[in-house]
Parts: sequence; C-alpha cells; structure tokens
Amino acid sequence: MDIEALERKAREIRATCIQMACDGNVGHLSSTLSYVDVLVALYYGWLKIFPDDPASPGRDRFILSKGHGCGALYAVLADRGYFPAAQLAEYNREGSSLPCHPCVHALPLVEMSSGSLGHGLGVATGILYGLRRRKSLSRVVVLLGDGECNEGSVWESAMFAAAHNLDNLLAIVDYNGIQAVGKSDDIMGHTSLEEKFRSFGWSAVTIDGSDMKSVTAALTRFPFEKGKPSAIIAKTKIGVSFMEGDVLWHYRKPSEEERVRALAELKAKPLYGPDK
Amino acid sequence: MRSAFSKALCRAAEADPELLFLTGDLGFQVFDEFTAKFGDRYVNVGIAEAQMVAMAAGLAKEGFRPVAYSIASFMTARPFEQIRICVSYPDLPVLLVGAGGGYAYSSSGVTHHAGDDLALMSILPGMTVTAPCDPAEIGLLVPQLLKLPGPAYMRIGKFGEPEVRAEEPPVLGKARLIAKGEKVALVTTGDLAYAALEAVNELRKEGITPSLHHFHTVKPLDTAALGRIAAEARTLIAVEESSPAGGLGSSIANWMVRGEHKSGFVRLGPPDEFLYGNYSREKVAARYGYDKRGIMGACRKAWRAA
Repeated sequence: MDIEALERKAREIRATCIQMACDGNVGHLSSTLSYVDVLVALYYGWLKIFPDDPASPGRDRFILSKGHGCGALYAVLADRGYFPAAQLAEYNREGSSLPCHPCVHALPLVEMSSGSLGHGLGVATGILYGLRRRKSLSRVVVLLGDGECNEGSVWESAMFAAAHNLDNLLAIVDYNGIQAVGKSDDIMGHTSLEEKFRSFGWSAVTIDGSDMKSVTAALTRFPFEKGKPSAIIAKTKIGVSFMEGDVLWHYRKPSEEERVRALAELKAKPLYGPDK
Repeated sequence: MRSAFSKALCRAAEADPELLFLTGDLGFQVFDEFTAKFGDRYVNVGIAEAQMVAMAAGLAKEGFRPVAYSIASFMTARPFEQIRICVSYPDLPVLLVGAGGGYAYSSSGVTHHAGDDLALMSILPGMTVTAPCDPAEIGLLVPQLLKLPGPAYMRIGKFGEPEVRAEEPPVLGKARLIAKGEKVALVTTGDLAYAALEAVNELRKEGITPSLHHFHTVKPLDTAALGRIAAEARTLIAVEESSPAGGLGSSIANWMVRGEHKSGFVRLGPPDEFLYGNYSREKVAARYGYDKRGIMGACRKAWRAA
C-alpha cells in the first residue's frame, strides 16, 4: 500500500473504533485511536502475518501490551481477514470473543492476554529468546503506552533485552501524552523516553506517530542497530479534533451527535454496521 | 534439597532439550553441574523476578519448558502479578521453584520469610503447588511436575535435610503414606514430615500410634485420601510451616466444613504474624508448637480424647 492508501485505511479503522465504542458502550477511545496509524503501518505491509494460519511459526508476533487499546487491534485483525468484520459488533459484549481487554481464551489468535500494564515487553523477551534458539527470523513487536512506561517491570525487561542483544525486538511507545488521570509528562516529569531506552542499551528514535510517512520510514530502518533492540517513541494524536488532548476520552463514549461528527470529520465509514 | 533439585534438573534437561533454566541471580555454585553441561540453557536473568517470570511465560508460549528459580519469597510474592497474569491466566507450563520456603530463612528476617508461598500459589486457579519432604522426593517429583500441561510451584528447603523413609513412592497429586497408625492422623507438608516422623517413632514407645500422611502436593488437594484418613481417625492434626490462611491446614479446614465426616481437626504451625527477632528456624517451630515436641504433645492430647 502507498502512503495515501495507508492513511485512508487508518481513517477507516478510526471510524470503526468509534462505532465499536458506541456499540460496545466502552471507553478507552483515546488509547484506541492514538496508535491507529502505527498499527495500520504494521499490519498492512510490515508485519509478516498469515491470517489463514494465524499460529504459523514463521509469523511476526505483535503484542498489544496496553491491552485497553484493543478496539483498533480487533478492527485491523478483522479487516486483514482473521475473522468477519460483522463480529466487531460483539466488542465488549458479555461472553464475547472481543472483550475490552484481549484474552487468549476468548480470542486465541492474540499473542497474549493483556490489560494489566507492564507485562508485554517481558513476555516478548521470552518469545524472542526462544525464537532465537530455534534460529527463527520472526520479529516481535510490542506496543506500549507512554503511561505504561511508569511500570518498573517495563525497565526490567528493557534491561534484559539489551543485555541479551535481542535485536529482532521492536518496542513502540504510543506517546499520546495522556494517561488515566492526567498528562503523562506532568506525572512523570517531562523526561525523554528516547533517552531512557537509549541509556538502557537500545537504539531509539522519536517520530511523529500520526504521520504515516514518518511511521513507515522508521519501520523500514528496523533493526536500527545490529545487536540492539529498537524502540520507536511515536508521538501520536487521537485523530479526531474534538477529542485531542482530553483525558475525558479515556472514559466516555461518543454521543450519537459526536459519533456522526467524528465520522464526518474522518471522511470514512466503519467496516461494519448500518453506516458501512 | 537444593543439591537434589540441581541433580533432578540435570536429568530433566538431558531428557528434554526444550528445558531452560532461569534464575533470578541466585543459587551460587548450586547449578555448576547444570551450567557445565547445559550452559546455553542457563539464563541468569538478574535480580529481576518480574522479568524472569514474564520471560518464562514467553518461552513456554513458544513451546519451551522453562524452570524459574529464586528464594521462595522472591519467587512468589515479588512477581505475583506476573505469575498471575502471564503464567497462570493463560495456563502455561512454567515450573516455579522457591528455595528456602516457609521459614527456612528464619534467621535472615522477615524479608526472607516465605510463610505465605504456599498460600499465594494455592490461590491461583490451575496452579499445582508442592512442598516435597526430602531430597529423594524432589528427585521423584520434578519429572512429574515437568510433565504437567500447566503451571506449578515447588517449595524446596536449603541443604542437608534428612531422608524420610517411606514405602510408597511420591505420586504427584496423591497423599503419601509415611507411617501406618490409628485414632490420630498426622498430615504434613514440606520437610516437617521428618519432625512428624520422629514424633511418631518416639510416641510408639509410649504406646501411642498415630498415622502419618505426607501431602507433598498441597494443591490440588488429595481429597480422596483425606476422606479415607478422616474416616479412620478420630482426629486429624495438620502440621505445616505455612501461614494459617491459605496453606495446607486451611485447605483441609475448607474441605472439612462440608461435614462429610466427624473427626476433629487441629492445626499446628506458625501464626498470622510477622516473625520478628531473627530467631532460628528450630526456635520458631518450638515457640509455636510445631516442632517434634509440639507434635508429640498434640498427638498425646488427641490420643487421650480418642
């Protein structure tokens, strides 16, 4: 896909996420929308995936460590053919295969259950350590939140990954600037995540994570340095003007008026439902 | 027990090329044989227990057989969330080994006490929880634990534990008969089986003959065996070096309240307290009445009442 097609796809995925938030009556919309551009760049070109054989050993592994942002992942997985798009209407329903935090028992094709923060990177190091023993070239990508990087376990894992030269590991931090109750920089002291990763022995870059060109360019350069794990600090936007920078969208779902407004602004239709 | 574990680990690694051993920077010189033979399957993760457990989960997910090792308190309480979310929730075959469980590190202070290791692990759905009684039992249980499809915890002691002789070999998930008897049944877990056996041997001289059953598997609880024991004995005496909540004693009590039998129940073990003062393990057991003398006293009392 060229850049424009990827951008169109990202708008379509955002529209789908907004529809899902309304249908599923669930929040976390800001966390879901902010990494859509990164996710689209990964799933429509960069990741080696086998939707017809989801557990194929040769696949790249994608781990959504910030599990509360799973709406976008479900939308992309459906669009890539892992399951029918109509199933997205089940998001956050009781007993659904698409719960509001991914669960391997509900949807076995996700690499791990997530929802509690700070676990994805550690599990990824184990996967990669094992893959390396099997001489596999599969890559492991972990999507973390900037708020999630408050968790100490992230840094235990970061230290290990560098010490063991896991250079087939890519951590992408969705730096949307907001966490549950405030702005992440205000809470953690305006220090650089890029410098933190670098000082832990990683090769790290900061990019405009809502600019598809910057995202694909960074992905193309992976691995950034031989022998080092790579980190992308993606400064992201929600992508809907009236939601930008507002912690409130961690919690609330759009009203019908807001839903219509958001879809109109995105100039895109959801992948499923009456507005499809 | 640590040497026995190290030997059992080497045998298991010979049998299974997918076995990897992870340590949270502990076990100085204990695993020299393993590192000499299987150096590329030994990973010192560093003093980072959360990372060790999450990594073990990742390895298990890819089809490896990870065994993670630390001091019991740092193996269970410290990375509890990683055990719960990364290992237990997806039901991955990871074996967690806690050395110096219970109050084996009694004199090192509260930071090193692990009276709660069995309780913490038992509270996790699907977790198999074991506390072998001696080096030989470790050797026989490790291969069984490594065949489980899901996660397991094994509490081991330190060094030089005496051997508990018994005719029955240990079978994972089954109570092990150590000594036949009548009227009073002693039920133990971990290396307290030895203190209980010594008590039984001395009591015989007095004409008091309790039976002794060792529950190396705390979870799942062998309720079939418990039913048989409770049907035969007037009083069950559980002896454990574990917190009163969540250990073997409380598991048995939970089972007993169903009221399917009429035997009495006594629990001997440490109290629901932080144990200050860095006292020796022997002094702690004596103070709270679960050493040989305490066990004998409880048996005499129950025997008279029977």
